[in-house]
Amino acid sequence: MSGLHVDALRAEKINGGVTYEAGPRDAVWERAEVALVDQDLPSDGSGRFAIVVSPVPAESWRVDALLRRVRDRGYVGFAAPGAARLDAGSRRLAERIGLLVLGVERPFELAEVTWRIAEARDALALDLIRRLATAFRYPASDLRDLLGHIASSAGYGVALLDADGVYEQAGGDLGSAAAMIDWSVGIDILEHEGMSVASTRVDRASRPGLRLAFFASGVGQAQRMALAVAAQVTMPAVAARILIDEIAAVSDASASSELLRDFLDAGEQDADIGRRMTERGWRTTGFHLGFRMVGRTRLDPRELLRAVTAGLGEFEVEAHATTMGRGVVGWMRFVERPDPAELDRQVRRLRELHLQVRRTFNIATGVGTLQAGGAGLSATIDDAVGAARIAVERSLSDWFVRIDAFGLEQLLLARTESDTFVPAAEALLAPLRAEGGGLIETLAVYLDNESGIAATAQQLGIHRNTVAQRVRRIEELLGVDLRDASARLALHLASRAMLR
Amino acid sequence: MERSDIEALAHGCSLLGSGGGGRTTYLELLAAQAAWPITLHDVSDLDPTTPCIAAAFAGSTMLIAERLPAAGSFRPLIAAVERWLGHDVPALCSFEVGGMNGLTGFVAAEGRMLVDADGMGRALPRMDQLSLAVDGVPGLVFAVGTGHGVAVIESPNADEAEAVVRSALRQAGGTGSVVVGGFTVGDLVAHAMPGMLSHALRLGAQYLQARDERLEDFAAAIGGRLLAQGRIGASEGDADPQVHSYEIDDIDGTVHRLVTRTETLALVSDGRLVSASPDVLVVVDPRTKDIIEVPQLKLQQQVAVIELPVADWWRRSATRLRRVLPSFYGLEALDPVAAA
Repeated sequence: MSGLHVDALRAEKINGGVTYEAGPRDAVWERAEVALVDQDLPSDGSGRFAIVVSPVPAESWRVDALLRRVRDRGYVGFAAPGAARLDAGSRRLAERIGLLVLGVERPFELAEVTWRIAEARDALALDLIRRLATAFRYPASDLRDLLGHIASSAGYGVALLDADGVYEQAGGDLGSAAAMIDWSVGIDILEHEGMSVASTRVDRASRPGLRLAFFASGVGQAQRMALAVAAQVTMPAVAARILIDEIAAVSDASASSELLRDFLDAGEQDADIGRRMTERGWRTTGFHLGFRMVGRTRLDPRELLRAVTAGLGEFEVEAHATTMGRGVVGWMRFVERPDPAELDRQVRRLRELHLQVRRTFNIATGVGTLQAGGAGLSATIDDAVGAARIAVERSLSDWFVRIDAFGLEQLLLARTESDTFVPAAEALLAPLRAEGGGLIETLAVYLDNESGIAATAQQLGIHRNTVAQRVRRIEELLGVDLRDASARLALHLASRAMLR
Repeated sequence: MERSDIEALAHGCSLLGSGGGGRTTYLELLAAQAAWPITLHDVSDLDPTTPCIAAAFAGSTMLIAERLPAAGSFRPLIAAVERWLGHDVPALCSFEVGGMNGLTGFVAAEGRMLVDADGMGRALPRMDQLSLAVDGVPGLVFAVGTGHGVAVIESPNADEAEAVVRSALRQAGGTGSVVVGGFTVGDLVAHAMPGMLSHALRLGAQYLQARDERLEDFAAAIGGRLLAQGRIGASEGDADPQVHSYEIDDIDGTVHRLVTRTETLALVSDGRLVSASPDVLVVVDPRTKDIIEVPQLKLQQQVAVIELPVADWWRRSATRLRRVLPSFYGLEALDPVAAA
């Protein structure tokens, strides 16, 4: 059995109020003896720890003599009330004779915990479980709350980890030890830089790759084993909590989804819809910018919503989202009309969110136009839905499309869907196709960007001079002047139809 | 003894003062005015039936330095004892060889025969620690100045004599003179420490001869044991206001605690008791060998502690020893285990 040391005692929640005072910190002992006064301690104290209930004397020479008597009987450590008032000489003596000296407020409590740690590790685990039971006595509002209850009842740190590291933690910081956990085993017990961690796999079908970890710094082997037991016992409760939260999220998502659908169908004039929207905190006054994220392949809209909601949480403007069909619909709300630069900034943030979510979900995103009031909210969401429909096909813009103020994209969409248009467009752009070299894409993007050379170059990832060359070549090949509005419109439609 | 012996005798007495007993300077000046040479009579040279007295200055040694006692202050006390006893007392011996009182006999004798014997063998704080009282010699009479008058105390109980003498001293202003009579030169053989004055003289001579030597050699030369050498790191009081403890940080790392009362009482090194009363613990400056008294001890002072063995007389019976062990002052924990 590995021995007990001062850090292990100090890591205990109930430890008699132990304080380190003097002597070798690394002293290790197997068991402790308790006596009213030091003279009553068993004479053979080799490798043991002495707990004396009577306070240490006030006179330093008496303290010196006491420390010497305890050490001479073989004890490696000594704890007594009032040891905090040891003077410098007595502390030096403790170091000289190699006696660990601890202060203690409640010596019997220290004796009890020492006994539990050193001699009854089962008792230690049982006691921990008993304490954990109290964590479930009070309802927790969510997972974070539950982990907080567990951590405070256990007196140790608790963390829930996923593949990216700590997902949620309470009662301390797991820190760098998180990276040391072995994910391949069911129960992993480790010690890293003084931090002891016992972790167990959390069984969840919907979210694989979760681990629940209990952690504490400076504890001994027996306490590590108790941590592992605690992790195993607590795991089902945590798993159940995750499930409950998921069901709540699902029902919340379906309720909000239904509300949005009702709103889009009936508008806010309906008193019931208006009330439900107010309860949810959806206000229709002000200005709204709708967006729609839709799966290009099959996906779980609720999982997508979770990811999007997490991302929206970092926006500094009011934003809402709910599921709709194969994806998510959301909007940002501005109290005052945002200026164009601010609006562009918010769209850029949406685009960043879109790219971030795309790492996990194959989605396309459409962004609507800025609209005011309740009717505007419906309108911008309609815009966004339309834009998303376009975005699904737009690999060139990373499947992200924002409807501009004039609704040109809708127009394009409508036109290009006709059967007669496509052959005409092919004929118009045939010279470019024959030349090759990405001229059609360049034309499309150039027109998308309102003849901006720099913006086109940036979007295509090529040099500005190359764009300028290509534009000149396109004008030569087609014999048109791209400054002519009607030519631009025709070519824009044609190139878009060809690229679908 | 010649007048030139005073310096050596004074140093010998200071060593036996065990950090207390009062500085000898003033008594050296008083003694120098006596009629020298003075014959120091061996106990065996005198008729054992010769009546004898002992004399001492008593009370606070610090107050004595402020209120210098007069050389003639013993005369009314001796006269009172003689009146009480009904006969003259032709001999006088030393009351307390340690500290200033080691020289008192030379001042108080004033023509009486000075006997080479002492009632304490070192410095001690109380009347009931006088060897004659400890052994319960019958018929002892104490006389003490009360300020303007004299109190004469006759009691078979030494504690009573101590208590009344102490209150008389308080009445006299904290210091005064004490004389004890009612015994004979013959009593000194068994119930006192014969030869102590000449011993103090020899000790002082050795001290003067060896004071320039290395500390270890110096300690050996005066027949002592060097127990500690270092700096005073801390001092603290005790529940008993007279008790203090000084932490001496030894140059070898040992943590010493020198426990003192009016005299040095015990030395605890690294938690172990290494020396205790009645043995004499002398504190000296490690460089100059100047003898340091307890009231002079101060923080950051460099000191050396040397143990000098006390006269065997004290260890010849448990009754005697009990009167001088630290437990007599309420510090049981400082008694050597073998004696307890």
